[in-house]
Order: sequence, then C-alpha cells, then structure tokens
Amino acid sequence: MKFKNIKKTFLAVFVLILGLTISTFVFADEDEEGDGHERHERGGRNEGEGRAIIPENTAYKNECSSCHFLYPPEFLPKRSWEVLMKGSDKHFWENLALDEKTSNEILSYLIENSAERGRSEWAGKILKSIGSATPLKITETPYILKEHRKIKTDVFKRKSIGSFSNCGACHTKGAEGDFEEDSISIPKQ
Amino acid sequence: MGQKIYFVLALAFVVLLLSSIADAGNLNAQMQSLMDKYMKDSGVKSFSAEEGKKLYFLKRMHSEKKEEISCISCHMDDPAKEGRTLVGKPIDPLSPAVNKERFTDPDKVEKWFKRNCTGVFERECTPKEKGDFVTHMMLLQ
Repeated sequence: MKFKNIKKTFLAVFVLILGLTISTFVFADEDEEGDGHERHERGGRNEGEGRAIIPENTAYKNECSSCHFLYPPEFLPKRSWEVLMKGSDKHFWENLALDEKTSNEILSYLIENSAERGRSEWAGKILKSIGSATPLKITETPYILKEHRKIKTDVFKRKSIGSFSNCGACHTKGAEGDFEEDSISIPKQ
Repeated sequence: MGQKIYFVLALAFVVLLLSSIADAGNLNAQMQSLMDKYMKDSGVKSFSAEEGKKLYFLKRMHSEKKEEISCISCHMDDPAKEGRTLVGKPIDPLSPAVNKERFTDPDKVEKWFKRNCTGVFERECTPKEKGDFVTHMMLLQ
C-alpha cells in the first residue's frame, strides 16, 4: 500500500517535470529570430526610383547594426569610410574589436557602394554638399543638415528617437532604402 | 520487470531534473571554460556577484566626451528591460533571466566586453571584472 503511494507520487512528479521540460523547449523556439523580411541579394538595389541601396553585407550588418541604424554606404564618400574603418579601434570612443578579415570585408563593401557609386538622388546631393571635406558622420553633411533644418533639437531627444543618428525612428522605410518624405512619420514621444 | 521500469523512470527523472536546472541560468560548457580562463588569468579563487553588480552601476566621467557614462547608460537600471544605445537603437535585454541568448556565446561575450569596456571605462576590463560581471548577471531572477 505504502509502496503504491510512493509509486503514484513518483509518477506524478515525473509527468510534471516532463511537462515543464517540454514547455521550456517549445517556448525557447519562439525566441528564434525569423523576421520574415524579404532578403535582397548583396549590393542589390531596391526596385523603385531613387531609393538607396539596402545594406546586405553580412559582416557590415552583424558588426554595425547592433549599435546604430545600418546607414546606406552611399551616404558617405569612399574617403570617409576609409578613415572610419581605419579608426575602428576608436570608433566614437569604442573599440569595435574587429579582426582584420572582417574589417577588410566591411571596408570593401562600403567602398564598392560609396556615394561616388550611389545612384540615389541623395548620394549625389550629399557628395556635392561636402565638397572636398571628409565627414565622419552622415549627420554632419551639409545636405543632410539642410534637409533636417526645420526639426527642433528636442524632437531628436524624444524617447523613441534618441538622436539625430537614429534614421529609422522617423524614416519608417529607411531600412528599405526609402528616405522619401511620404514615408516619414515622426514619433510623438 | 516492474522494478526495471521504475529504474528507467528514475534515471530519466534525474536526467530531466538536471537539464531543467541547467536551463534555469547555468552557463553552458563553452561559457564555463571562458569563466575558467577568466579565473586562471585573474588568479582569484572565486568571482563576486556583488562586485559585478557594483561594476554594472558604476558611473564615471568619460575623459574625452566629458559626459557621465556607465553600463546602465544603455542597459538600464533593470537589465531585464530593453536598453538603448547612445544613438537610440533598442537593445535586447541583457539579463539572461529574460533573454536566454545572453552569455551563451564566448566570442560574443568577449567582443562586447571589449567594445563596451572601452566605451565606458576607456580601457579593457580585467578577467576578474568580467568574471564578476557574468556571475552577477547569471544570478539575476
């Protein structure tokens, strides 16, 4: 009798643990990334007039997009990317800790698609506006500053925007290379 | 015959119990060997979660930026919450209690220590600091 009870208890605990373990695995699966976005080939240009290139290079995406918007390579000239990547151990006060291979791959990609080669209207306008300068920030190029001149500094400080460098906060299709006015939506907070 | 079944069940029970404990916040084998390396390199006998917590909240003045900076500038007081980079991009929670991917990949862990320690402390973190930090994070509920 006593043994039977122990057996029953044991079986109940076993079933419980089994259930918990299975649920852990099931829920863990939900964490897997699968954003379902359509993928374009490396260096591919989006259909539609005037759009910027969609950054598709894996190294560029992996190493750069955790911290900031994945800026279109054509928003800076070749010489800017060269200086930026050469200083990747002091990238705005952070050491990007890139190995040589990764660093070279990113630089090649950025150069292949820099402003000089960009076909969007913005690439040309940025390039023209900077003259012979070597800007290290897209947000400091005269054309980009001019385009944002009417937006008050406070707006960039809103919680869901954070800074002038966070393009995607307002350019809702920025990640798709679309920086047209009709796809802009400025968050209220 | 009946006893044999119970023996198998008991064995399965133990295995499942151990795997659920492992799931509940222990380091995987690769991370454990990184921690062992930290311990060997630092020469300490144990890591301190308390010291790790202190490091997490330590505020300092950045000598070049002239701004106060700390881990919580981006990862928030509560690491279970979504963080934000200095330019405003969201960061997945740092706490392994809510983000199971955290502290599972030694290469990632090392890369981000290197990036963020230079960003905040203007130097690389020591093996002891890293060990303390991971220990603190793994104990979060």
